[in-house]
Amino acid sequence: MTRVVIIGAGQAGRRCAEALRERDAEATIILLGEEPHPPYDRPPLSKAVLLGTDPGNGLFVRAPEFYAEKRIDLRLNTRAAAIDVAARQVVTEAGERIGWDQLVLATGATARRLRIPGADDPRVMTLRTMADAEALKARLATRPRLAVVGGGLIGLEVAASARQLGCEVHVLEAADRLMARCVTPAISDRFAALHRDKGVALHLGCALTAIEPADGALLLQAGEARIAADLVVVGIGGVPNTALAEAAGIAVQDGILTDAQGRTGIPGIYAAGEVARLPHAFWDARPMRLEAWQVAQNQPVAVARAIAGEDAPYDEIPWHWTDQFHWNLQVLGDPDPAYRLVERAEGEKLTAIALDDQGRARGAVLINNGRDATPCRRLIAGGKALDAAALADIATPLRNFL
Amino acid sequence: MATWHRVADEAELKLDTPLGLRIGEVQIAVVRLDDGIFAVNDVCTHEYALLSEGFCEEGKLECPLHQACFDIRTGKALNEPAEVPVATYPTKVEGGAVYVQV
Repeated sequence: MTRVVIIGAGQAGRRCAEALRERDAEATIILLGEEPHPPYDRPPLSKAVLLGTDPGNGLFVRAPEFYAEKRIDLRLNTRAAAIDVAARQVVTEAGERIGWDQLVLATGATARRLRIPGADDPRVMTLRTMADAEALKARLATRPRLAVVGGGLIGLEVAASARQLGCEVHVLEAADRLMARCVTPAISDRFAALHRDKGVALHLGCALTAIEPADGALLLQAGEARIAADLVVVGIGGVPNTALAEAAGIAVQDGILTDAQGRTGIPGIYAAGEVARLPHAFWDARPMRLEAWQVAQNQPVAVARAIAGEDAPYDEIPWHWTDQFHWNLQVLGDPDPAYRLVERAEGEKLTAIALDDQGRARGAVLINNGRDATPCRRLIAGGKALDAAALADIATPLRNFL
Repeated sequence: MATWHRVADEAELKLDTPLGLRIGEVQIAVVRLDDGIFAVNDVCTHEYALLSEGFCEEGKLECPLHQACFDIRTGKALNEPAEVPVATYPTKVEGGAVYVQV
């Protein structure tokens, strides 16, 4: 009987555990989590949790009794301190040794911290965990002036939630546009207009150099600019939690290096979710580490299949979304600004498809137009040359191009 | 007590093109499939979104936000992120009009 230990009880750890159970009724499955909560999905943290609205089924996807029913040995408040590869054991912080035949590292990422003077002030926060979200929610209740550092997905979601709660909100972004890593300039401009329209003060091309306490508040310094705030949230990306792997001699390079199915260089050890850097079929096997719900959801299933002896590389067309105010943005594939962008707009709804020099769809960006997501994914997967002029005509449904 | 509500002319409902509507507090998606007209609760069970604004084919309605799929005939959640089914409602066509029982 195989004994599988999964380090990390987030979405990726949960998905790996349940996918393993589907394939192996007998395996012993031990899921180790540092946090006091059973596994939860993170997307609601920056929205429903902060706003105090019903997160539906989107936070704790499984009922608490699910784990016992599936005979998944979920051990919360348990931090792995080391991996003893020779003995095939995990050593916990409490000193317990847990043996494994197969080990999955689903250790996730940590919010990147600012490295400037004043960044260690307790009023400078990050948002990554449920505890972070609850602490931030409690602070937002006093309607502080909020400065968000980073105009990426997390930063803008926090900005939108805080604004909806009635806070004065500033967003400081070092680049000259919002969400520069994932959308084209035209889409960045639309979101900038949305945030400004909702009363968010955007500071683009704004390189923060220091945070200073001043008059009971904080003064953010960026060049000549001075922005006063009571609370700062830093959303400048994630750093993969690779220390355990590195100490165990597993190859690491901004992520744990794996093959396309999550196998590390050490037989019997795998990496699942956003901590893994794997050769991705969509980018001609270039090693990629993707931080997205989709990856946490489905790459761990590929890992479970590897453990079960199946050959099933992870090769989904990349997809992620963000919800800000009443706008839902979905990004599929790789809408690189270098590609030609064909826009299909209808009021506030937009589908923009990125065509390469052969006219093949490589990516798509959708605003409030989720109905087009599946047709776009199929266009990207199909790899067929498309006629840009015909594609721009919204009178023709996208499914006609499939 | 469930009652029948007239929701559309039969001719208005095109194949695989969901119609979103509200009856009192209940939001409903009405869809014509090749074997009849069906009605399900329009609100995704994962997070708030109207399924009638999503993609529809082969008897499935896909949430426009996060792409959970539901079986229009049974309400069953077919894939994550949704786990919980949506409610279904009886429909009938009488005198060229579509009725939903809520």
